[in-house]
Amino acid sequence: MSVTNLLENWSTFRHFHPVDDKPHEQYKWAMAINLDACTGCNACSVACYAENNIAVVGKDKYAHGQTMHWMRIERYWDEDGREFPDQGAQFLPMMCQQCEAAPCETVCPVGATNHTADGLNSQVYNRCIGSRYCSANCPFKVRYFNWYDYPDQEKVWPEPLPQQLNPDLTVRTKGVMEKCTFCVQRLTAAKSDARNEGRSVRDGDVQTACQQACPAGAISFGNLVDPQSKIAKQWEKQRVELAAHDEQEKDKEGSELRGYRIFEELRAYPSVMYLERVRESAV
Amino acid sequence: MHSFLRSVFILAGLCLCVSSHAADALPPLTTADSLGPKVEQPIEFPHNRHAGLRDPADAADPSVPAKGGMEINCMYCHTGARRSNVAAIPPLQKCIGCHRNIESVKETPRIQKLFEYWEAKKPIPWKKVHDLPDFVRFNHERHVKRFVFAQNKPVQEACGYCHGDVKTMTVAQRQKPLSMGWCVTCHEKDHPVSATSSETSHGPNDCWQCHK
Repeated sequence: MSVTNLLENWSTFRHFHPVDDKPHEQYKWAMAINLDACTGCNACSVACYAENNIAVVGKDKYAHGQTMHWMRIERYWDEDGREFPDQGAQFLPMMCQQCEAAPCETVCPVGATNHTADGLNSQVYNRCIGSRYCSANCPFKVRYFNWYDYPDQEKVWPEPLPQQLNPDLTVRTKGVMEKCTFCVQRLTAAKSDARNEGRSVRDGDVQTACQQACPAGAISFGNLVDPQSKIAKQWEKQRVELAAHDEQEKDKEGSELRGYRIFEELRAYPSVMYLERVRESAV
Repeated sequence: MHSFLRSVFILAGLCLCVSSHAADALPPLTTADSLGPKVEQPIEFPHNRHAGLRDPADAADPSVPAKGGMEINCMYCHTGARRSNVAAIPPLQKCIGCHRNIESVKETPRIQKLFEYWEAKKPIPWKKVHDLPDFVRFNHERHVKRFVFAQNKPVQEACGYCHGDVKTMTVAQRQKPLSMGWCVTCHEKDHPVSATSSETSHGPNDCWQCHK
């Protein structure tokens, strides 16, 4: 393969993708977040902290950019000349997008982050050596590094708070990377229960913590492989295809579709779809 | 002369190959130091008396009282194994449920200690023997469903894959390394899906199946 050939036919080479080549068999977890319903209340973020044993780092470390919020609310101000109390804002809950062609996976020197058969981007804490290369390569900046030994030295959970930690996942220690897992501990439990009954996980069997806490019901989560699931119907309706990379229906003038994925042009194929009509003020 | 030299070199090379190959041989999977410390329990619970085999000579005749063990199913006490992640240590109530009706051993020191805990309304502080690291998720239910209920393997054999021959022990001790490589040796093998089926499948090899 000559360099000229590679450059000339780049688009065809780049189109090759695991999803086209090997579709998911039983599960492909995906999420849809309705930004028109989101009020930016941060309940999802709090639920995530509680579910996933995330350390609350405090104001000083937050200022140093060392916060650990797996689920964060990004805030965008409207720039239409109005001043603060009247100024419009938009909110965007941001977490690991569980990319199908994840940029973080290819760069890990020790293979601590891998793709699972369910289409998740796994992070294995005890394998991680803390090179932080994955975080550097993540276009969404949703990977968080443990700069300190939060449980033992920083004492973020003084007694008796360790009693409330979730036993279904590790309390991470200093020097490892962590990120949203789509509440994989809940998915594993739901899959095991479903297997006992000899079926696949049905829509509604499992909820992520953020979805459960959202008062506006803006987050839906489920299995894309199951055509009857709410998430598959939403993706179908918005014509967001997991492997679609060329111009899509929604890009056309006057389209009523409002589903999009962030940084779609980077072709990381995220598993999270956001729903919002493009507003004049936001452009 | 040249051919003689060449053959010497070839011979020397061969010897080197063989010796380096021998050095690469895998160490045995179970080593003494991989089994962890010997665990002392508050009461020296005799697994052999409860789960051990009857005296082989009498096994055929059910009217002969059991002299060896009583062949109690592992899951009679470890009830969690077939329906949850953990096998569960039985509550004191379970011990008392039988032992308050067994007059013959009521005066023995271990049973007296048992009743002391019962009367003080204190749980027995059993210590964990098979303690996996916090970053590992092991599901007893999936393994028991597969090997005991689907494949019809005898319970003690299925439990013994990881726990060793508990029916011959008093206080249970680790007999297997319980390391990741050791788990994978079994996950890589093809196991029949059920007792009657010739279809096989192997254990999952996704990181997130076991790591959390």
